[in-house]
Amino acid sequence: MIIENDAVDASSSTAFLSRMLQFGDSMFPIGAFAFSSSLESAIQEGVVTDAATLRAFARTALEQAARGDCIALIAAHRAATTSDIDTLARIDALVYARKLSEETRTMSVRMGKKFTEMGVEVVGGPLLCRWRECIETSVTPGCYPVALAISFAVQSLPASQAFVVHQYGVATTILGAALRLMKISHIETQKILYELTGQTGGMYEAAATARLSDMAGFAPLTEILAAVHTRAHVRLFMS
Amino acid sequence: MIPAAFPPWARAETLGASMPEFASFQDEPPQMSSGTVGKTGFLRLGFEHRSGQTILANLERRVPYMVQRALHCDEQMPGLAYVFLITTTGCLLQGDRLALDITLRPRAQAHLTSQSATKIHAMDANYAAQSQTIALADDAYLEFLPEPVIPHRHSRFISDTQISVAPSATLLLSEIIQPGRKHHHPDECFGATVLSVSTAAARPDGRSLFAEKLVIEPRRYAMRQTGVMDSFDVFANVILCAPKDKADRIHERAGADIDLADGVAFGACRLPNDAGLIFKVLGRETAQVKAKVREFWGLVRQEVIGAALPPPYLWR
Repeated sequence: MIIENDAVDASSSTAFLSRMLQFGDSMFPIGAFAFSSSLESAIQEGVVTDAATLRAFARTALEQAARGDCIALIAAHRAATTSDIDTLARIDALVYARKLSEETRTMSVRMGKKFTEMGVEVVGGPLLCRWRECIETSVTPGCYPVALAISFAVQSLPASQAFVVHQYGVATTILGAALRLMKISHIETQKILYELTGQTGGMYEAAATARLSDMAGFAPLTEILAAVHTRAHVRLFMS
Repeated sequence: MIPAAFPPWARAETLGASMPEFASFQDEPPQMSSGTVGKTGFLRLGFEHRSGQTILANLERRVPYMVQRALHCDEQMPGLAYVFLITTTGCLLQGDRLALDITLRPRAQAHLTSQSATKIHAMDANYAAQSQTIALADDAYLEFLPEPVIPHRHSRFISDTQISVAPSATLLLSEIIQPGRKHHHPDECFGATVLSVSTAAARPDGRSLFAEKLVIEPRRYAMRQTGVMDSFDVFANVILCAPKDKADRIHERAGADIDLADGVAFGACRLPNDAGLIFKVLGRETAQVKAKVREFWGLVRQEVIGAALPPPYLWR
């Protein structure tokens, strides 16, 4: 059935949309709530103090993800559609080698493993099962962007949606932590989220056309904040 | 001799031609064109341990790169070969292609530095490129601590460093990047067009350890943004490849702090695959950053060699 105000076939698009919402939901149990992506130390050190600095901090995280992890995410989605395990493992190693702080590595591999396990239980299929086996036998580290790409590819969800879910996750992890760490209202965090997610379009095109060797970034203060966090005496979050 | 068909600076040429951030800078300078004689510097340094000290056993050079000889001037490490890298042009210009190959044989110990800061001049065509390879054999020890890089406004610079390090070897590699000549002109603070600095390390058997690619494009990504440079101006990136036990002790002692009032921030993280540490420093002024890098260097010497640092130079 074609409904007038829908551009595509409604029954398949609603099914796709439900899947994307489920796997992109902050309720999806991959443990993202345990991480603050260095926001905890940014607040302790006075780097993030109000809504404006929080917005800029989250924007930095989104830009870094778009220039790095998301290139791997889109490449992994391509490899997963042909069930190319060797290429997936190669991409996974490249992502892991670029996580230069122990906390960002821990976050990526924990969420990657959980996401894969949930994929096996909820969606199933040979590729997800093989990927879980690769992670469990330490053949591959199992970073989050690759896990997300595989789960989306096996459900025939497009790479652009995986990208949106990835970036939404980056933003909500920080903004969710902000609600618990600083004096900020839900209204303000939602306004920030609305503004930041509105800017993802151009980022997707750049990431989709880049090569794996183009993965880059530059956020030295965020990296120093990660180093500060590993040494902090009082920690609510794992990063 | 260098085979004519594959000169080492050809690597630097390939770099700029393949990276997307340099796609729009492929035009030739109206002056001397890129990669011609005088613009293709090459330096190959081979260090070997012989009868108690390290000697510069192999030296090949081509202007504008130059090295005269290894000195044994460090009283704390008398066997250490101390080498000054000289650039006869004194700076980097558009169209420059530089290649530096450093090899340390087993147990060799060397310190490499530059005579002064490296200025990267303003560019209106093309770019400058530098390709470096560093290979450390078993128990080798290299401190590569050049003076800062000063990217002038509208400069375009690409640097690629490929490291091969044995599990028992130690490499301390520092890079200090200034925002430009910030006291000279307001446009000189983060006025560079693009700086692309890649580093990748592997074991001699080819196993990859880590990779980092820093791309600084101030007009595309705001430098003052929270989490990027914030209120800081000078950035140091220090890579330490060292055996895990030593790296852990250095990490324990290195500390991490952010002091917005004093304008200095620093911290070390453990690199993946037990490769070592990465130590980053931000400061408002170069002297603060250099002091922190020196502190870290002191820790590395103490933990890895058991030696102290030489006293600081009076004029550097």
